[in-house]
Amino acid sequence: MRNFFLIIRKYNVFIVFLLLQVFSIYLLVNNNSYQREAFVSTSNEVVGRIYVAYSEVSDYLKLGVTNRLLAEENARLRSGDSTSFYRMSILKTAVNDTVYKQQYEYITARVINNSVSKVNNYITLNAGSLKGIKPDMPVISSTGVVGVVKDVSPHFSTVMSVLNSNTRISAKFTKNNYFGSAMWLGGSPQLGVLNDIPSHAPVNKGDTVVTTSYSKYPAGIMVGMVYEVGQKGVSFKDLKIKFSTDFQNLSYVYVVRDLMKAERDSLEAKTVAADVK
Amino acid sequence: MLSEIFIQFFRYLVLLFVQVLVLDQIEISGPVNGYFNAYLYILFIFMLPVNINRLFLLFLSFITGLSIDMFTGTAGMHASACLVVGFVRPGFLNLLAPREGYESTLRLSMQGMGASTFLVYTSVMTLLHHFVLYLLEAFTFLNFFDLLLRVISSSIFTMLLIVFSQILTQRSRELDA
Repeated sequence: MRNFFLIIRKYNVFIVFLLLQVFSIYLLVNNNSYQREAFVSTSNEVVGRIYVAYSEVSDYLKLGVTNRLLAEENARLRSGDSTSFYRMSILKTAVNDTVYKQQYEYITARVINNSVSKVNNYITLNAGSLKGIKPDMPVISSTGVVGVVKDVSPHFSTVMSVLNSNTRISAKFTKNNYFGSAMWLGGSPQLGVLNDIPSHAPVNKGDTVVTTSYSKYPAGIMVGMVYEVGQKGVSFKDLKIKFSTDFQNLSYVYVVRDLMKAERDSLEAKTVAADVK
Repeated sequence: MLSEIFIQFFRYLVLLFVQVLVLDQIEISGPVNGYFNAYLYILFIFMLPVNINRLFLLFLSFITGLSIDMFTGTAGMHASACLVVGFVRPGFLNLLAPREGYESTLRLSMQGMGASTFLVYTSVMTLLHHFVLYLLEAFTFLNFFDLLLRVISSSIFTMLLIVFSQILTQRSRELDA
């Protein structure tokens, strides 16, 4: 027993080093699971406030570009508004509310922290659970897909960016329905790849790639454009895409709330459960 | 003694804020993106007093890394890399020591150690830190050659900033004596 204490005393530095190292690795490994929330929520409020102060300054410097993007989006939305259409029909049609039921709601948020230079990049938003944001909600910007909400605190939320080695987006072409999964392989924050497109699919440089409704995103959100077309093996195309979202210049984004998500999820879960039986 | 603690704490805060609010925000577009990330904050661990208790050094390294982790959302990654630096530091400083050992009042700065010793000391420690950090970050994602390239290019960037900060904070000779 005495020897045991002597050994501990002799190697105390090494033992403490090992213990702390094990603790660090434990934190790192659990980064993807629920344990992370304890670590995040204690720090997130303080850290978030500092980032808010920082982004207030940096947003001011980006005002010009932001204004232009918002103005462009306003113009696009206004041109889609019913008041900007000339009624061609003489027949009066009844407006029937039961035809359209709202499925998606958009919550605006400001990007207060963002990175593009890591292997796994995350974005922090200044809106959290108090504004109705929940984990797994998709995030888009006026130019295209941004990511998926990962963790939420009352006032802030973190988003797993498209520029993350774990992100996969189900995507298809606008001109036909061949679909694959878009992902980012590191390197330039503007370029990604689109996998699983069969080699007989007609694809040209410049084709538009949008989301499908198979994943968390609403269908038809812009992902990017085909940038380079190649051949991978015999049966698949090797496609490079250029993301439409400029991740180096994000300031305002929309978090999408799917009002019919619960219904769809429970139906799909029921089907799968029946299959297992 | 009190002023020494104050100086160290002040350096910690300055380096933390420079790291989080300036260096982490640098984005280089194009294919070299991700190859030039500077981590200047490790200078705090390098410049802790030479005769600091080894256990205390470990704890301070751990806290330094953890505080960066809180900002970057990379739980434990920087903490782990900093721990390695804090663990290796005393042994490596002994290797570099002059024959009669260090004076307890020696400052671990470019001015105090001499440029060549300081450069050897900081560049080896920086490479070590960046290697551990990128290894933990990449783990399964990038290939090993790419990893080494990232370690070396980022270390060069960090070293430039370290030398630059040393020149900026140099004291005049009379004050030091």
